[in-house]
Amino acid sequence: MGIVQTIDLEKTYQDNGVPVHALRGINLTIEKGEFTVIAGPSGSGKTTLLNLIGALDKPTKGRVLLEDTDISGLKRDALGELRLHKIGFVFQAYNLIPVLSAMENIEFTMMLSGIAEKERHRRVREVMQELGIEALAGKRPNEMSGGQQQRVAVARAIVNNPTLVLADEPTANLDTDTGAELLNLMETMNREHNITFIFSSHDPQVIERARRLLILKDGMIAEERS
Amino acid sequence: MLFTLAWRNIWRNYRRSVLVLLSVVIGLIAIILYDSLSIGMIQQMLDNQIGAHVSHIQVHKKGFNDNPVIQNYLPDPARVRQLLAQQKGVAHFSERVITFGIVSSATGASGVSMVGIYPQQEVQITKIKNSLVEGRYLGDAPHEIVIGRKLAEKLDVGLGDKVVAMASALSGAIGSDVFRVVGIYETFSSEFDKSHAYVYLPNLQQMLEFESQISEFAVILGNLERQNEVQAALVQELGSGYEVLTYKQLLPLLVMQVDVYKETIFIFYAIIGIAMMFGIINTMLMSVFERIHEFGVLMAVGMKNRRLFVMILLEAFLLGISGTVIGAVIGYLIYLPLADSGINLSAFADGLNSIGSGSVIYPILTPESIVSAIFVIPAIAVLGAIYPALRAARLDPITAIRHV
Ligand SMILES: Nc1ncnc2c1ncn2[C@@H]1O[C@H](COP(=O)(O)OP(=O)(O)OP(=O)(O)O)[C@@H](O)[C@H]1O
Ligand SMILES: [Mg+2]
Repeated sequence: MGIVQTIDLEKTYQDNGVPVHALRGINLTIEKGEFTVIAGPSGSGKTTLLNLIGALDKPTKGRVLLEDTDISGLKRDALGELRLHKIGFVFQAYNLIPVLSAMENIEFTMMLSGIAEKERHRRVREVMQELGIEALAGKRPNEMSGGQQQRVAVARAIVNNPTLVLADEPTANLDTDTGAELLNLMETMNREHNITFIFSSHDPQVIERARRLLILKDGMIAEERS
Repeated sequence: MLFTLAWRNIWRNYRRSVLVLLSVVIGLIAIILYDSLSIGMIQQMLDNQIGAHVSHIQVHKKGFNDNPVIQNYLPDPARVRQLLAQQKGVAHFSERVITFGIVSSATGASGVSMVGIYPQQEVQITKIKNSLVEGRYLGDAPHEIVIGRKLAEKLDVGLGDKVVAMASALSGAIGSDVFRVVGIYETFSSEFDKSHAYVYLPNLQQMLEFESQISEFAVILGNLERQNEVQAALVQELGSGYEVLTYKQLLPLLVMQVDVYKETIFIFYAIIGIAMMFGIINTMLMSVFERIHEFGVLMAVGMKNRRLFVMILLEAFLLGISGTVIGAVIGYLIYLPLADSGINLSAFADGLNSIGSGSVIYPILTPESIVSAIFVIPAIAVLGAIYPALRAARLDPITAIRHV
């Protein structure tokens, strides 16, 4: 059945009255524990697809099933609740809240889900240790390098034990080595905790590591490799 | 954690927040000073009138206040005297005989209100004794008179000089007597000083062909708050032949002035409040627009719009309350020495004399003023943040994240 399933998924934006068909009928199933990369040229609809899977946006047509629940019809607050508990996000850059330390940034989503402070701290320490970022605990985002910020973002994405982590071009702002380290980290999380990752990327080294690769063109899946 | 987040967010743009804070602080100081000065002035106006002559409550024969002729003496002063002695809430009272008369010296004459008093009673009621600038207060003796400085100047008399007073007596004949000036006083108001002369009550009774008649009882209460209660009790006891008037009824013009004054204070508050509100709206809007991407991330990771809304209100509230606390402390520190020494407004003293407050104003800061400021200003800040917070809460996460 898969943890994510899209059925005839379509998204049409209105750009000053001109319809832009960003996605035109995506049928896709993601199984638990996958490490999937969505590639494709700029404008092919990668971000749009991730946003729909991530309950950040609603499809124009078709459905998104997340663990068999149709999320297309959910209200704003319900979608927020769903993202909080089921989905971790890593964006291209500026993922973190500037006024919070690394530790507080990671803690933040647990605070939103109402976990007690003691438990939050325990869990944050655990995750930071696993990702090898304990040294960053007290640092604010502007005191960290881009790679360090992305690691903290990964920590935040996984700390709530989500069903799914969505990463939209997570290495786009990093140099090759730093990008590779970040990917290592996510691979480890995927392997050891069976966390499902879906990336979008142009980055050849990301594509190389994909265990499943989907190539989008003009809003459609043009090619699939495993 | 939301609190920490809000607090730190305030200090992200340090200069902008300090500016808002400063506007709140200055606004609050202005309010504290203006408010305490106004209340001080109002209080002084009232105290002066009450303390010079009016007292808290007066008892007359019905109609005396509108037509204070000597024929309007009290029907049964002994009864009033006995009643006042028993009435709870009455601290002191003084009986008076009052008439319009003419006081003349070798060089001039002036119409005055002649007030016959028992000095020991009257000192409990009015401050004329404390206002003496020359000589002494009346004794229990005839042929002595205490007049105001202005009248002394006008008549060109000094201590020990003789004046002649004339007034029409009960029979319609002219009663007159000779008095020696034993004391000269000066109150807050030269107008008052020119027109009030005090003599020994039995002396004036004799001059007016009174026997034991009394024109008025002036009453001072232990607690001013109870004026209506005491008034009602006296009215009930005395019935319709009498009038029992509180200082508010005796000084309708002043009470009206006080009301007008309170309205101007309110307008002043409103102006400051509106200015503050626009400052807050502007600041919070700027700060919201700078953080659109960040709000997008917050919403993406599951922060509800409602919580975002609350966070922004909280930021404004913290700004408001910080400014209020700082402003209240500074305002209070400025106020304290002023309350002690008073503020000398003699530059505007002509105007102040005509409203009867005196030229040195002692500001009074009431707990109510402080408390209302402490509640109102943070409330204004929160109100001002509603629109910016709505703007933030209405963002949709994708557009916000795309915003860089
Ligand atoms: N909010 C929007 N309004 C209008 N058009 C949009 C909007 N978002 C995306 N599009 C359009 O939809 C199409 C797909 O965009 P999308 O961002 O999903 O592409 P992408 O594959 O992520 O591209 P990139 O590699 O540049 O990030 C593009 O033509 C884009 O211009
Ligand atoms: Mg994209």
